[in-house]
Amino acid sequence: MSQPVTHIPEALRDEVKALIHLRLRQAHRGPEEDHKHPANQAHYEEATRGERLADQLAAAMGSWPFIIAQSCLMIAWVYFNVWGIFIAHWDPYPFILLNLVLSFQATYAGPIVLLAGNRQSQKDRITLEHAADESDKGEEHIIKILTEIKKNTELTLQILSELEAEPA
Amino acid sequence: MAVDTSAPTARQRVARQHKHPVNQLFHDEATFGERVADKASSGIGSWWFLGIQSVFIAIWIVLNSIEFFTHKWDVYPFILLNLAFTIQAAFTGPVLLLSGNRQAQKDRLRLEHTAEVAEAAEKATLEILEEIERNTEATLQVLERLRQRRVARGT
Repeated sequence: MSQPVTHIPEALRDEVKALIHLRLRQAHRGPEEDHKHPANQAHYEEATRGERLADQLAAAMGSWPFIIAQSCLMIAWVYFNVWGIFIAHWDPYPFILLNLVLSFQATYAGPIVLLAGNRQSQKDRITLEHAADESDKGEEHIIKILTEIKKNTELTLQILSELEAEPA
Repeated sequence: MAVDTSAPTARQRVARQHKHPVNQLFHDEATFGERVADKASSGIGSWWFLGIQSVFIAIWIVLNSIEFFTHKWDVYPFILLNLAFTIQAAFTGPVLLLSGNRQAQKDRLRLEHTAEVAEAAEKATLEILEEIERNTEATLQVLERLRQRRVARGT
């Protein structure tokens, strides 16, 4: 008998894996569109106007330009109010107005964080629903395969009994 | 049961090189800004940060309240300390969002990977099913042959 050959299914070959990796790389830095996973499609491509705005808000506030701009603003505020010449010191030490401005920012940051969090938990829900669908489909496949193998075993057993019935 | 100690555990691998493509793209190939963002969020969200902040606040309040120290810079009700808190909060919010955005991106990428892998797995499953069906077909033919032989023998 010849050695059994290892057959790698076409979909699991290295070329396909490399292609998947390439597509993933494109999706990583690419725009948030043309998604393959239904949960991503629902989250990004089918987002309502309010949801898109929430995403943009979170993206803008949670970015390095925002953090750097805020730092510059703070430093400038303190500088002009302590050492600034040719300008009225509108908020001298201990910078009570700056405190108010930053509190104002924090007051909005909290809800925006929650808005982004809610978006994510909504996505998590969609993802799980889709996973349940997928799991049903997987179950169906397994049942089909098992049924087929049982049929095969049945036939093999019949062959065995045919062989046993043959005169030696 | 013998445990294989030579293979790195998932936790050890995290410190070195990632195996999962999403982790590779996301952590091993992170840009400078992304690395700083990860460091900032893991730095602020750590017991070290909380501990140091607490000690700092305690020292501030003690130095500005006890009679012994003469050079007080922020007496009761600690208006400058309030500003310091606000500044911390003003940065924590954006860093929180930054790290949340990073996680959302990772989630997006993970799902794309799941979809690709699921598609490949489904194709492979169908291939398995086809192969088994072919096997059944062949077995059926063997059985048919044997039956024909029996009929020919007349037993």
